[in-house]
Amino acid sequence: MEAEKFVVHARIDIQTLETWVEAGWLVPGRVEGSVHYSEVDLARAHLINDLAGLGVNEAGVPIVLDLVDQLHGLRRVLRHALAAARSGQAGEG
Amino acid sequence: MAADPYEVLGVKKDASQSDLQKAYRALAKKLHPDLNPGNKQAEERFKEVAGAYDLLGDEKKRARFDSGEIDASGAERPQQRQYYRDFADAGSQYSSDAGFADFADDDILSQIFRGRGRGAVNMRGQDRHYRLELEFLDAINGATQHITLPDGASLDVRIPAGTRDGQTLRLRGKGAAGIGEGPPGDALVEVTVRPHRLFSRDGDNIRVELPISLSEAVLGGKVTVPTPTGSVAMTVPKWSNTGAVLRLKGKGVARTDGGHGDELVTLKIVLPEKPDPELESFIAKWGGGGAYNPRQAMEA
Repeated sequence: MEAEKFVVHARIDIQTLETWVEAGWLVPGRVEGSVHYSEVDLARAHLINDLAGLGVNEAGVPIVLDLVDQLHGLRRVLRHALAAARSGQAGEG
Repeated sequence: MAADPYEVLGVKKDASQSDLQKAYRALAKKLHPDLNPGNKQAEERFKEVAGAYDLLGDEKKRARFDSGEIDASGAERPQQRQYYRDFADAGSQYSSDAGFADFADDDILSQIFRGRGRGAVNMRGQDRHYRLELEFLDAINGATQHITLPDGASLDVRIPAGTRDGQTLRLRGKGAAGIGEGPPGDALVEVTVRPHRLFSRDGDNIRVELPISLSEAVLGGKVTVPTPTGSVAMTVPKWSNTGAVLRLKGKGVARTDGGHGDELVTLKIVLPEKPDPELESFIAKWGGGGAYNPRQAMEA
């Protein structure tokens, strides 16, 4: 979706969006040369909004985002490792 | 009828706005799906809490609710949304491996990292472990053996010349199938080598004990010696003792550098099984026999 539609869904104004993109909190992709916001970007924007509501300040947001991304990465690896361990057991058992 | 928003937040009706905010933040921290990705119940509770705070956190809406103008269900509900965690497994431009990058050298995890693209998982298959018992000469000279796998399939294992007892042979790609586009794992075959009746192994050398007769020991002569690759002729020098070691160059174990070890032949003088009267009377007449004491070195 374009920026205009995105800000409505994310309940933010266009200046806020620009600030977030500039800060690297959101990294929109590009489709045919123009900036494109995806569902992931929207979900991330909601999270940033919630963090602000939780009292996380501007300096805290990127820290939380980074840790959340790391946590997601770890959960992903853990899930794959478990799947691999399980398929290995099934094969040998 | 929606639950009482005051109860949802766990505050009294006369709580101040800042108390409300404090209560909301305390609950939201515990319940926000993105901050608690492993808690599946969190989402429903968080929706309730967020809805309650949406109503009470706004002083005007709270006043209308308190006066009965709107009920809890009439309050503006947070729109249906997808949480950030819902995208975590698919991977995105935000995916991070910083939480485990230092494990990258680990065997198991490195397979997973290699397959960590967007979405698709490609993993190398598991290694399979087998045991194989080999005849001594097959291990020394090399051979091809068949292993029958538990699933009925069979596997040809090429035994390289010089394989040692306890060695593990790796057969690339003969393990379990890979996941996705991952390559199959390897078959790891641990080899046990049975002992041989004549030969034993000492590093790259073969040891054999060779019985010789008394006359061969005294006068010397040509004898036939077994080696792992067949019998060869060897000259026993005259006056050879039991325990003397003769070396057959290149008749030992194949080395990885292309060379071979040696066969070390230990001589052992053996008297005829039946007593020989001629030999007995000869030794009795042998003057030097009593003069020599081979145990001299043992005396204090």
